[in-house]
Amino acid sequence: MGQQIVFALRDSMHRVLIKLASFLPGLLALLVAVVILTAVGALLALILRRILTAVKFDERFARSQTVNVADWSPRHSPTVLVARTAFWACVILGFIIGIAAFDASYAGNSQIAAILIPYLTHSVGAVLILLAGTVIARFLSRSVLIGAVNLQMQYARLLSLGVKWLVLVLTTAMVLDHLEIGGTIVDLAFGILFGGIVLTLSLAIGLGSRDLVSRSLEKNAGHSVDPRTAAHTAPEDDLADILPRTASPQPKPSETLRHF
Amino acid sequence: MAAPSTITEDAIPSSPGHAPSGLLVSLTPLSGEALEATLANLALAFADRDLLVITPDPTPTTLPTSGHIRLTTYTPATIAPGGWVLTPAEFLEPCKLMREHASTACLLLGPEAQSLAPEALRALADAALTGNADLVTPCYALGPRDGLVNSAILYPVTRSLFGTRPHYPLAIDLAFSMRMAERLAVCAQKFTAANQNAAFIWPVAEAAAAGFSVAEVPAGARTLPRPDGADLNTMLAQVAGSFFADLDAKASFWQRARLAYSPRTAAFARAETTSVQPAAAETPDVQSLLDSFCLAYTNLHEIWSLVLPPNSLLGLKKLSQMPAASFRMSDDLWVRIVYDFILAYRLRTINRGHLLGALTPLYLAWVASHLLLTSGARPETTPPEKHIEALAAAFEIDKPYLVSRWRWPDRFNP
Repeated sequence: MGQQIVFALRDSMHRVLIKLASFLPGLLALLVAVVILTAVGALLALILRRILTAVKFDERFARSQTVNVADWSPRHSPTVLVARTAFWACVILGFIIGIAAFDASYAGNSQIAAILIPYLTHSVGAVLILLAGTVIARFLSRSVLIGAVNLQMQYARLLSLGVKWLVLVLTTAMVLDHLEIGGTIVDLAFGILFGGIVLTLSLAIGLGSRDLVSRSLEKNAGHSVDPRTAAHTAPEDDLADILPRTASPQPKPSETLRHF
Repeated sequence: MAAPSTITEDAIPSSPGHAPSGLLVSLTPLSGEALEATLANLALAFADRDLLVITPDPTPTTLPTSGHIRLTTYTPATIAPGGWVLTPAEFLEPCKLMREHASTACLLLGPEAQSLAPEALRALADAALTGNADLVTPCYALGPRDGLVNSAILYPVTRSLFGTRPHYPLAIDLAFSMRMAERLAVCAQKFTAANQNAAFIWPVAEAAAAGFSVAEVPAGARTLPRPDGADLNTMLAQVAGSFFADLDAKASFWQRARLAYSPRTAAFARAETTSVQPAAAETPDVQSLLDSFCLAYTNLHEIWSLVLPPNSLLGLKKLSQMPAASFRMSDDLWVRIVYDFILAYRLRTINRGHLLGALTPLYLAWVASHLLLTSGARPETTPPEKHIEALAAAFEIDKPYLVSRWRWPDRFNP
């Protein structure tokens, strides 16, 4: 009995070690491919930067282009854009070669390969989704915050936070779904959270804009009842294009400001 | 791609008894009445000269009889929206026709040109025709609450960086020489080729960068056209964005430009072309502007901290705690804010749309401070023109800060 247990343990340990031994070269090949291609990319970027700087690429490009492509490049320099593109292309190539080597180091019927390879590629996709989601969340959050502040909305920060968390929750759900973690629990939790945030925002906007909406309705009703009142309200209407739209009372017509 | 424009000449022959002026007058689209009034003013201003006037509008039924105007209509190559400033397309046609008619100078009149007095028209044209200046801009007599973006940003920054004196860098009426017309046409061509038909062109900066002479003449009162269908936030972002981009493009010039006067003496300089208006007796209600700033301070502080150094943030904190009656943004603080926003625009510290959006509440705070300082009957009350000149001098004195940070943006900045 004891011998059988020892034998079983030895056998399983042997199998695991063999699997590990066959797994490590593949992993090592992946790492080596990534490191080498990264180094090649860095070298290539350096050479490109030197050459383009020597031929004054930025100045020539700015002279010949009507559309400012430099706007899209980091540090406003097309040279840097070209160098970085070359570098990251090499890094991505390294990953592709590494994953192919990792895949090739297993036999076609290997169970680990069947699970690990798709999971690895899904992980890369999930990381990209997470990065994109975080960037989009921050961008939208700032856009909403600045827009709402300039419209003098008192709940600007709440609105901005709401939008940020909406996008982050959506991103997280997409990442988990991409990694096939959680199954229906994620769908359910996402639905509840997303719906909750939307409801909170709706209530906040609805309650916060009550005065604004009622004033707008009153104004419209006034216009429809008696068109002659339009003549009296014209100066205030004129203010709309030169003053920020505010929730607070409008200044008197005598206090008109001309910004332009 | 811009379509070629077509030109039709109306037969109003020039009189043999009048001297050819060498002047081409270019008009922007005007209503029928406005066109007639403008032509009448031109006839009064140039009664002793033959004048070639080009307009994109149909010929009016009644033409002035006193002058000797040869009217030419043309179909613009591109139709630009807006119509409250000069668009790139409006710089192309005059250059082409100046070449064809061998004109020496062009008078380009913007929207609402009928409100310009004949004396102003004459003064603008004469300055360009005598050959003393390649670019002549008008100095409008505006009210203390008009043209505030110009007073806060455009004029002082242009003056400090390019060493020019004109008060309206985005003037809507201009007179210029042939070589200036060519320079402006090249600049306009870049925008029209890229289908950016509503882009702004900054003639004063162009002239300064080209080393051309710039002059300013008093133009009296003028009705300024209103921007259509856009609120302050959008308009400020458009104008400031275009202005900052132009500064970025001409950085190599203004970084090494030597001003004709020293910053120290500039601090005491006064504009000779403008009359000093007395301060308004009535204190304005600026509460909505201050509310806007305070709300922004509580919400946008994090975004401002990405752009502004700690010293400016401290200044804004003090400002947010000031009572409305004594609210005063120092010129030095405003100068640093504008310069840091220009730098952030160049460095893309944050998204440019966000950056320009975050500038609006700070600008409103400056407006509130300016209005409070230039109105009322307190001892510290200053006439508006005097304050604007003092602000421009502060921009000039602090120019080394911008140049330094432009060159070494990562250097420690308290």
